[in-house]
Amino acid sequence: MPENGQSNLPEYCRKPTLVLGCGNLLFGDDGFGCALVEYVESHHRVPEDVCMLDTGTGVRNLLFTLCLSPARPQRLLIVDALDAGRAPGELFELDPADIPPIKLDDFSMHQIPTSNLLRELQETCKVQVRVLACQTGPLPTEISLGLSAPVQAALPRAAQWLVSEYMPECGRRAVLLPPGLP
Amino acid sequence: MAKTLVIQPVTRIEGHAKVTIQLNDAGNVDLARVNVIELRGFEKFCLGRPVEDMPRIMPRICGVCPWSHHLASAKACDAVFGVEPPPAGKKIRELCNSIAYMEEHILHFYFLAGADFLLGPDADYSIRNVIGILKAAPDVAQRVVKVRHMAAHMLEILAAKAIHPQAAVPGGFTKPLSPQNRDQLRKMADETLDLAKFSIKFAKENIFPKYLETVKSLGVITTGFLGTVKENGALDLYDGKLRLMKPDGSFEDFPYDRYTDYISEHIESWSYLKFPYAKKWGGFSMDLAKPTGIYRTNTLARINVCDHIDTPLAQAELVEFREKFGRPAQLTLLYNWARLIELLYNAENVIRLLEDPDITSTETRVKVTPRAARGVGCTEAPRGTLIHDYTTDADGMLINANLIVGTTHNNAPINMSVTQAAKGLIHDGKYDQGVLNTVEMSIRAYDPCFSCATHRLDGKVSVKLDIVDAEGKLVDTLMN
Repeated sequence: MPENGQSNLPEYCRKPTLVLGCGNLLFGDDGFGCALVEYVESHHRVPEDVCMLDTGTGVRNLLFTLCLSPARPQRLLIVDALDAGRAPGELFELDPADIPPIKLDDFSMHQIPTSNLLRELQETCKVQVRVLACQTGPLPTEISLGLSAPVQAALPRAAQWLVSEYMPECGRRAVLLPPGLP
Repeated sequence: MAKTLVIQPVTRIEGHAKVTIQLNDAGNVDLARVNVIELRGFEKFCLGRPVEDMPRIMPRICGVCPWSHHLASAKACDAVFGVEPPPAGKKIRELCNSIAYMEEHILHFYFLAGADFLLGPDADYSIRNVIGILKAAPDVAQRVVKVRHMAAHMLEILAAKAIHPQAAVPGGFTKPLSPQNRDQLRKMADETLDLAKFSIKFAKENIFPKYLETVKSLGVITTGFLGTVKENGALDLYDGKLRLMKPDGSFEDFPYDRYTDYISEHIESWSYLKFPYAKKWGGFSMDLAKPTGIYRTNTLARINVCDHIDTPLAQAELVEFREKFGRPAQLTLLYNWARLIELLYNAENVIRLLEDPDITSTETRVKVTPRAARGVGCTEAPRGTLIHDYTTDADGMLINANLIVGTTHNNAPINMSVTQAAKGLIHDGKYDQGVLNTVEMSIRAYDPCFSCATHRLDGKVSVKLDIVDAEGKLVDTLMN
């Protein structure tokens, strides 16, 4: 693709590694993915070749763009909260191929990453797609900021995993900012 | 045997909804109801916060239309602080609004509603989606995708971030537009205009004629309309006065901070979502034969209420539209046609704003001082008139907040359109997936955004159709 075409693409299409934190910060533990992005950005220097985004509840819009883009990252990590009947705060990986091909294959912009878009990215577009999930506690029925204690405690562990898997060079080079500094 | 059909959730709309269709003993439709989940606790959450936090919080409410909430909130803050942004601040906000509109309208036409039109409402769920569209019309899809990328990039240039924008602040906009960036955007704007022109031509030649009979019959109801116009009656999507039009085409204009004088909210026990209605039209009724107080918002409403459009290409399309369908046009699926006229307007408006000498002024904001006040901000979100209403104490802390979002205005009309569609399509208890999706089409025409609540990757069944008899006994369950 010509350079001038590439330059018109959003940054998340152009960088080789993309990390997307998903969820709604206004609904307690549902905001885990967003909180992890903030945690990593405030504790590590993210390398130039990694695009890390807090996508909130707008992830499908972005995945849709990625799926159809002429340029895409080589690796995509989705970070999200999930209720899978495990212990709150438990971290686990999910293979997009294991997501049931139900009507989520049909297209909607809400809900977490559409299974067909993730599979399409992985199988047709040859993007390496991984999903890091954190088991939530009970989600609030009304708007409520803040993670529960077990999910909050999972943030450093999740950040350590993310850095070692996706930005190992950053792990070596990064300066862990002292508390209190921006 | 009386049956109830439940479609849950309706897909390819923003959020979740459950459609319940009640059949009578003869197998015909008694009534249909669209049940929605509403964001709860928002007002309580806001109270006691500095009002200037609101434009930053609001994009978190919904990741699907963050710009609309962001801008309506900033405008409400302007009103609370009693300030008017400088011309450049106001125009950059409007520019962002028009670009975000293009991104939304392209998405909706080609990939949300478009799946029904390009692939057919009875196409299998496994192909009736974005990937299916790519395969069915690859040339069109690639062109569309390129411009969507461009729109996202334009917002990045203007506001640094497109997903959770923070650049609009009380009193204006934080980031002036440099002449270099203006020139960069101006080149991109030509391509967005080309796509807008192509889209409406493509739809008029290849899509609308094919579905004209469906357009004439599906989800058709008769209502009034609400939208924003400039002082001279021209279409406006960022600022202006509200115009409430009766079904007969007569209308009344009012400043948006007086919306409570004209709009009331009805409550139904079976829905969490309120039903706004026109206060002065004699009450509220969703009776298809004699609806009362019902008005609609969103694209068709805006195209109906405006006297004209002040950009030449969109105005020409408006004239053609009115020659075909009159004013006000009532056919529900014309929302899709109206959406393309708005796409064209926004593409032209982006160029107009970029060529405005004010746009590169470095004076983009004014200082604000906390005070006790009430302020209302209103924009036309892609899904309808969006009203933010804040009240602060002397320290600028929120003591009251009320929101009416676009889809809420359309709650009653959506229910009426689904009832009408179901009555026309389901007879003698006969139905199949294609028929049910056609009912869903009448909802999707409104481009609703029902909920910005939580989401989970739990793999649970998204669509479930329960059939129960008059006693509530489960007769059949269909899933896909």
